[in-house]
Amino acid sequence: MTSRGRAWRDELTGLAWAGPWLIGSAVFVLLPMGMSAYYALTDYPLLEPPMFVGLKNFRDLAGDPTFWRVVKNTALYAGVSIPVFTLVALVLAGLLNSRVRFGRVYQAAVFIPTLVPLIASAMVWFWLFNGEYGLVNKVLGPVLRPFGLSPPAWIADEAWVLPSMVLMTLWGVGQSVVIYVAAMQDVPRQLYEAAELDGMGPVRRFVHVTLPMISPAILFNVIALTISAVQVFAVPYVMFRRPQGTNPAGHYYTMYLYETGFVYGRMGYACAMAWIQLLVVLALTGVMMFASRRVVHYTRT
Amino acid sequence: MRRQKGPTSRPLTRLMIHATLALVSVLFLAPLVWMLATSMMPESQAASQSIRLLPDPPSAVFTHAKENYKSVWNDRTIRFPLYLRNTLIVAALGVAGMTLSSAVVAYGLSRVQWRGRGAVFFLVLATMMIPFPVLMVPLYLIFRELGWIGTLTPLWAPAWFGGAFNIFLLRQFFMTIPRELDEAARIDGCSHWTIFWRIILPLSKPALAVVALFHFIYVWNDFVGPLIYLTDQDQYTLALGLQLYQSQAGNTPWNLLMAASALMVSPLVLLFVLTQRTFVRGVSTEGLK
Amino acid sequence: MPDRSDPWSLTRRAALGALGVGAAGFALFGPSAPKSAGGAGGGGAGRIVLDYWEKWTRHEGDAMERVVAAFNASQDRIHVRYLVVSDIGQKSMVAIAGGRPPDIIGLYAFNVPPYAEANAVIGLDELAPKFGVRMENYAPGVRQVMRHVGKWWAVVNTAGSVALYYNKVLYREVGLDPERPPRTIEELEEHSRRLVKRTSSGALERVGFVHREPGWWSWLWAYHFGGRIYDETRGLALIDSPENVRAMAWIARSNEELGVKALAKLGDGFGSYFTPENPFLTGKVGMIVQGPWIANLVDAFKPDLDYGVAPFPVASGMERAGGEGGAGPVGLIDTDVLVIPRGARHPEAAMEFIAFTQRQDMTELLARAHCKPSPLMEVSEAFQKTHPNRGIAVHRAILASERAFIAPPTPVWQRLKDEFDGMVLRIASGSVSAAAGCADLQKRAQGMIDDAARTRRARYGTLSQHGGTGVPPVSFTRGASHRRDACATDAENSGGSL
Repeated sequence: MTSRGRAWRDELTGLAWAGPWLIGSAVFVLLPMGMSAYYALTDYPLLEPPMFVGLKNFRDLAGDPTFWRVVKNTALYAGVSIPVFTLVALVLAGLLNSRVRFGRVYQAAVFIPTLVPLIASAMVWFWLFNGEYGLVNKVLGPVLRPFGLSPPAWIADEAWVLPSMVLMTLWGVGQSVVIYVAAMQDVPRQLYEAAELDGMGPVRRFVHVTLPMISPAILFNVIALTISAVQVFAVPYVMFRRPQGTNPAGHYYTMYLYETGFVYGRMGYACAMAWIQLLVVLALTGVMMFASRRVVHYTRT
Repeated sequence: MRRQKGPTSRPLTRLMIHATLALVSVLFLAPLVWMLATSMMPESQAASQSIRLLPDPPSAVFTHAKENYKSVWNDRTIRFPLYLRNTLIVAALGVAGMTLSSAVVAYGLSRVQWRGRGAVFFLVLATMMIPFPVLMVPLYLIFRELGWIGTLTPLWAPAWFGGAFNIFLLRQFFMTIPRELDEAARIDGCSHWTIFWRIILPLSKPALAVVALFHFIYVWNDFVGPLIYLTDQDQYTLALGLQLYQSQAGNTPWNLLMAASALMVSPLVLLFVLTQRTFVRGVSTEGLK
Repeated sequence: MPDRSDPWSLTRRAALGALGVGAAGFALFGPSAPKSAGGAGGGGAGRIVLDYWEKWTRHEGDAMERVVAAFNASQDRIHVRYLVVSDIGQKSMVAIAGGRPPDIIGLYAFNVPPYAEANAVIGLDELAPKFGVRMENYAPGVRQVMRHVGKWWAVVNTAGSVALYYNKVLYREVGLDPERPPRTIEELEEHSRRLVKRTSSGALERVGFVHREPGWWSWLWAYHFGGRIYDETRGLALIDSPENVRAMAWIARSNEELGVKALAKLGDGFGSYFTPENPFLTGKVGMIVQGPWIANLVDAFKPDLDYGVAPFPVASGMERAGGEGGAGPVGLIDTDVLVIPRGARHPEAAMEFIAFTQRQDMTELLARAHCKPSPLMEVSEAFQKTHPNRGIAVHRAILASERAFIAPPTPVWQRLKDEFDGMVLRIASGSVSAAAGCADLQKRAQGMIDDAARTRRARYGTLSQHGGTGVPPVSFTRGASHRRDACATDAENSGGSL
């Protein structure tokens, strides 16, 4: 009797403490998700009530070349930037973890760019990548000239959109570097000593000891990167929209989704796009978790 | 015997590591230096082929800097002082709400024994995966029903219900606080609220600082939210204002654009310099699984 | 903790504290919007306060604010607040949908059809004449944008038309006759070639005419080739029409001739529009397609620039019809309009304000400050004689021309235009041929147009069945969709399922 009453009271106490988040996520996450799922099946102009149209939005999406273009651009961006990003982050973290002097200064230098708000970062790179007066080309120009080459117009050139996006993303690598350094510092020293006794050099030690030991952090990071890469918005929104139109190679999924919903006022179509995005994110996360079971080492239980 | 210094200690290797890291540091800081340099030049020199960090003549740097920053600050249409104020209001209300509610929920998920705890914690983690675009359209409609469109409310009110990542972060931290402390307090007849307020919170200042800092940066950064929910230009936040400054018919010269960007970046860099430890600690916890 | 006694740490804490206090102070006592300060008090007690959203800033905004001030001073019942809003077409739609619209909005002409069909604005057929505003007061070309499928939705506050501006100094420099602007596309191409200047390494230093500058109207060329891209009466997209394909091929050819990469780089060096680095002012571009407002730019930044204004050239053969006593020049009419949004609290007061802005003196004040022609039929002699734009006669002629055109009046225009921009970019960069690009977009454009119409029918059924809001939906001539239904049966079926 009393114990059951007690259990109920505990349950209520727990619910009360978790209350803010439960209410918040119901109103600001679950309800919107449900609404979005329904609207995905409707024609819903901004100013009129939704009208059920079944799977029409999804069928229209399948035949919408702009949709496929933004899918392709986004997939390419994620597919190229995430591996490059992770590789650079790991190498930098490895270097910083070698406990050189001024380590904190270097770390700060790499970390500070991650503080720059995306919008400001987009502005700065917009200027750096300017084909005529940008710093990047001012430096590259003289280097390339002896070879008879001239640097590209970067963001104005369809072919150079992806490299520019990857470079800009790399600028924000600092956060991951700090995470990896922290993870590397948790690796037990004995492991390195044992490896050294086995005659492993620094590079092999990095590959065979460090990487496996920090693999959970890498997995977490790659998943987080994937989720954000699929949603990339603010930077290309600022950089690739020109009076002449959006650079076709710089048109990304969430940009199109936003335009569809809030510029063209097609809320239903936008919700259909959003649900596809959600499912893709869930699938990618699932696949990565599953595929990594063999590779990722969890030391703690 | 080799010193316990780290994985490498041969002089040549160390030199190369230094060289690499120094070069990387320069590359990473160059954009910001360039931003500052451009912001202190007249337009005609910003848009020129030569590489220079100071205007010609260099002594004019302060005159140009003053002129550029003043004209950004005093722009009649894009009103940065006003946007700064709006951003600070959203940040203050948001940070207070986010820190407090996340701590409350994290307490419930770490210190109160109940059966639904695991499931709720799993849900918290799961919502971290949901891409914002899924919520974008319906949230707009919900805020419309609440009459919040065209006000700052949608930008801070949701923070009062906690944020998944921050709950996660605080819960992990609370778990490291010894249980004996609150058990002793329980025996003394203290309620959960007293334990939370008197024991857990004071011991968690570093973690709370991380949450506050992160949410502040989030607000400072947030672009999509304001873009969708704000209609009245007098309510814009800095992020939106900066974009507006760039986009309005493409009428902004480079030097002013960089001055505006520098205005937006500098408070965060200053904050970082003052709180580097908290920052690094916070970011490192992000890597926890 | 060891660092607690560290003097650095103390300084840091003090600095953080100061920063926090400063921020809090700014948040509490910082600058506030004029709006909240003005509130009810700004207009004086008892006056109706109207919010007027407008896109204009700088001198254009100043001029409109003078009109607003004149209105506020002219009576004591209504007080209008002038508020600047960027991306106005989109922000207004969101605000109307959000239930917090202003009372008057200054939109672009191309916003009228989508707003009208979404019932986002109030019809003016009855309201406008009540305040003395009559359709026949306006220049013929201008009337096109005020109506949409038979109803009156918007009032024009300033009217622009688009023409060719060319740099006479450069004309002289390369030995062209500055008094003889090109009349045909062929002449335009020839002049343009003469104006090109390259560095020794082959990089572009100057170009004649490039369609990408300023690139605001990627779609208008077909009209100068004797075609159009949309048939309003039949709801037909005409993007794959021979005229448009020819225009697109012309763009591809001239881009290729100049070098796509070289042009991209030169273009990146073009300064922003409203700055002294504007490429037309700096002479990097010798000829530009522009509205009359560019005269303000010249006055502000380079008053001694010697330029000429002419109707934008047309395909050869078409130029004769534009002569004296002919049909008039071909040209785009791009106007700014005033509308009253659905949900506005005081439509009558809003209309009273709009009517005030349409008085001949106010219209001329505004038009002169914007360097534009007057949208009204009646124009004062002083206005014509002392107008600050030397090309005013050209712009006026386009407003009165039978061959003037406006942006395709379809509710899907925004989407179509974005797609069109994308197509032109791809054609210009050579990644798709003119014919293929046009064929592809034609199919999609027709799909968009038909789909919008079909959904509309599914929503409201036939006209007679519609009850609802009291504002009947716009009627359509639906010839086109029937012919094309074959290729979109799926959508038809599901669209009609309600």
